[in-house]
Amino acid sequence: MNTFFLFVLLTLAVLIGAYLYRVLQGPTIFDRVLGLNGISTKAIILLILIGSVHERVDMFIDISTGYALLNLVGALAVAKYLEQKGLP
Amino acid sequence: MDVLAVIFILAGLFFLVVAAIGVIRLPDVFTRSHAVSITDSLGAFLMLIGIAIHEGFSLNVLKILAVLALLYLQNPVIAHATVRAALRAGLKPWQREST
Amino acid sequence: MRPVSSQFLLLKATALFVLWIMLSGSFNWIHLLLGATASLLIAWINSGHSPFVPNFRIWGKTILFLPWLFSRIVHSTLHVTKLILNPKLPISPKLLHVKTNLRNRAAVVLLGNSITLTPGTITAEVDDSTLIVHTLDDVSSEDVRSGRLEGKIASVFGNGDTSP
Repeated sequence: MNTFFLFVLLTLAVLIGAYLYRVLQGPTIFDRVLGLNGISTKAIILLILIGSVHERVDMFIDISTGYALLNLVGALAVAKYLEQKGLP
Repeated sequence: MDVLAVIFILAGLFFLVVAAIGVIRLPDVFTRSHAVSITDSLGAFLMLIGIAIHEGFSLNVLKILAVLALLYLQNPVIAHATVRAALRAGLKPWQREST
Repeated sequence: MRPVSSQFLLLKATALFVLWIMLSGSFNWIHLLLGATASLLIAWINSGHSPFVPNFRIWGKTILFLPWLFSRIVHSTLHVTKLILNPKLPISPKLLHVKTNLRNRAAVVLLGNSITLTPGTITAEVDDSTLIVHTLDDVSSEDVRSGRLEGKIASVFGNGDTSP
C-alpha cells in the first residue's frame, strides 16, 4: 500500500508541474491565478495523502483546512484587485 | 477493502490527469476554468473518498468529509470570482474562427 | 446595543461547538470547557450581524436535491473528459444570457453555485434576474438552457415567494 501511495504522490507532483507551466507561461494574468488555484487544490489532496502515509491524518487534515481557507481569502482578494485594476 | 480504496484513488487520479491535460491544451481562461472545475468536482471527490475508505471508520472520516464539503463550497466561488474579473477587465472569450 | 436573538445565538454556538469537537477530537473536560467558552464568545461577537434566519424546511429539501445534482455532475464530467481527450478538440464556447424567475436570493446563489460546480458551464456574472453563463459546448449547457436546473431549485424553495 505504501508503494502505491508513493506512486500517487509522484503523479500528483508531475501534475503540479503541468499547472506550474500554465502559471509561468500563461498569456494573461488570469491564467496565472487559475493555475495557482488548481495547484492549491492539488496541495490539499497531497497533504491528506502524506498524512495517510505517515498514519497521522488527523494532524494533516487541520493543516489542509487552514491551507484551503487561506487560499479562499487570497484568491478572492486577488480577483477583486484585478477586477478594479482592469487588464494590464 | 483496500482494493476498493485503490480503485477509487486511481479513478480520481485519472480525472486529475485529464484536468491537467485540459489546462495545457485549451485555448483561453474561460475554457481552462472548465478543466479546473473537473478537478474540483469529481477528481478530489473520488480521491478523498478513497483515502477515507482506506482509513476505516473513525473521526478522521468525518474530518475528510468536512474538507470535501469545504472544497465543494469554496471552489465555485473562486472560479466565479476569477472568471468575473476576467470578463469585467474586458477579456474576449475565444471563438472558433470558422463562424 | 445591537438586538440579539437568543435562539439564533444558541444555534450558532452549538454549530461552532460541534465544529470544535470535530476538529479537536478529544473529549477531555478542559478542552470541552474551552470550546464551549470560545464558541459562545464568537457567537456573541458575531450576533446581530446578518438577518439570516435558518429555515429547516428548506434544508431537508436541499439535501434531497444534492444527489440529483451529483448525478448531473458525473454526467457532464464524462462529457467534458471526452471533449478534452478528443484530438480535434471539438469545442464551441459561448456566452449565454439566462433569465431566471427566482426571486429568493439564496435560490439564486444555489443556482449559480450549481452551474459553476457542473463542469462545462460556469457563471460569469450575476444580476438580479439575469445570469451570464459561459459554456463549453451545446451538450453541456442543455440543463441550463432547458431550465431543468432552475425548475428543480424552484421546487426546493417552493416557488421562491419567501422573503429575499
